[in-house]
Amino acid sequence: MIAFEHVGKAYDGRVAVDDVSLSIAEGEFVVVIGPSGSGKSTMLKMVNRLVEHDRGRILFAGDEIRRFKPEALRLRMGYAIQSIGLIPHWTVEQNIAAVPELLGWPRSRVRDRVTELLELLDLAPATYRRRYPHQLSGGQQQRVGVARALAGDPAILLMDEPFGSLDPVTRDALQQEIARIHKASGKTILFVTHDIDEALRLATRIVLLDQGRVVQDGTPREILAYPAADFVSEFVGRGDIGLKLLGLDTVSGLVRRGESAAGDAIPISASLREALSIAIARGVDRLPVADDQGRAVGAIAVADITKPRA
Amino acid sequence: MNTSRLMHDPLPWFTALLVFFVFGMDALRPVFAAVFPELDRPVFTQDSFPALTAAHLQLVAISSAVAIIVGVGIGIFVTRPAGREFRPMLERVVAIGQTFPPVAVLAVAAPVLGFGEWPALIALALYGLLPIVQSTVAGIESVPGSAREAAEGLGMSAARILRRIELPLAMPVIIAGIRTSVIINIGTAALASTVGARSLGTPIIVGLAGFNTAYIIQGAIVVGLLAIVVDLGFDRLLRFLDRWREAEAPGASAAQVPGTP
Repeated sequence: MIAFEHVGKAYDGRVAVDDVSLSIAEGEFVVVIGPSGSGKSTMLKMVNRLVEHDRGRILFAGDEIRRFKPEALRLRMGYAIQSIGLIPHWTVEQNIAAVPELLGWPRSRVRDRVTELLELLDLAPATYRRRYPHQLSGGQQQRVGVARALAGDPAILLMDEPFGSLDPVTRDALQQEIARIHKASGKTILFVTHDIDEALRLATRIVLLDQGRVVQDGTPREILAYPAADFVSEFVGRGDIGLKLLGLDTVSGLVRRGESAAGDAIPISASLREALSIAIARGVDRLPVADDQGRAVGAIAVADITKPRA
Repeated sequence: MNTSRLMHDPLPWFTALLVFFVFGMDALRPVFAAVFPELDRPVFTQDSFPALTAAHLQLVAISSAVAIIVGVGIGIFVTRPAGREFRPMLERVVAIGQTFPPVAVLAVAAPVLGFGEWPALIALALYGLLPIVQSTVAGIESVPGSAREAAEGLGMSAARILRRIELPLAMPVIIAGIRTSVIINIGTAALASTVGARSLGTPIIVGLAGFNTAYIIQGAIVVGLLAIVVDLGFDRLLRFLDRWREAEAPGASAAQVPGTP
């Protein structure tokens, strides 16, 4: 879908991105992560030519991106940013319809698409369609921002710290949303963040950037279990790597079916990290587990969670 | 239902007053005769007030139209990447230009361009240009950078961003500049009579020359009312342009839809 081949970019002689090679396949959720100034945002903006690369090649669907007109290229890529950037004098509907209208979709199709996206992002169409951005909360605005990025059914979604300015509860809800959308639509997503927990939660693949260079490129599990450099373990947080690893698995793999335990049940989709945390908080060594409909499934034991696994 | 709004909205009242003074000046002859008993001719009659008002408005309309087209054009140009380097120079010219009193502009224009309507139109257009250029630049600058970046990232062309995002968002500020410019022009157009153009300044100039205070008052009242009516009209236009900003945040009950933080 997207390939970087020895890509470099310098601003006034200061190197922002240095010899980056990276290939993103269709359906991947790639999270580029790194400290501020690591070049992660520049990398993303080079893909839709908001920033032009100086060296190397960037390929989109097999062609060097410079062979596309910037506007045509961007219409095929969704774009969501931290500051959201909704057009203030347009309603929610007009904002979401921006790309479909540029693509020249017929009016009824645009309208249906807006309805579909509002529903997908949990905004009741009848209530929100005609609102202006300033009538929405920050979280609602970013939902609209994500809907707008998805509106033209783009081949790839570029997201530049889209949830960075939201409060933790809202951010959590939107992360869940985007994970669900990725799973349901199979869209390729290139996502930039500086938040390691966000990266671990969302990514199928994490690219760790430092001073414009790729330090490590791997699955969340690989990054946690086999950090390629001190910088990586430092960045992911040396002290709680174990807990973060537990965060990658859900209870479902370790649940003892048919067994039972006392207390409120935890959902089977909860992570092992959450299960462990709840068990410690309650001072118990077993927790009951229920499925998504709330039916009892079995129990999980703390001993199973902490037992060394190959 | 509309009575209280009518009472509070000054626009229709001032418009009625303006119409009355323009078309009914003759009817006020006894009043002016009583106030200025020493004057032989207490009402200006060399030219009719409707004709003077029309001439005045024509001066303002033509010069303002030129100022708007050129001023907004310059403002757009210096906020584009291609014109950005001209901006510091332009800002200096604007600053110097505005320290020039309008009367001085007219005084310079007349010897260069001769007497009549032309020097008046050119002086008015030039002087009206400055607030419009300034407000166009300020208006476009005030457009949130995030909206511009997002629009660009979504694939809008620069021309479309200008037309659909920058200009509509900048419009209230631009209109505020046009308002200042037009109001200044309405006042300055009265001075155009000094260089031989017909306007509502004519009775004022004639009155000043012939010690006829009534003429001065008659001209001044109509010019003043004209400025007030046009200003109130702009006020209404600005409120209309800003109506989307007034859209109320929904009540707490409607805002709290479950699952939408």
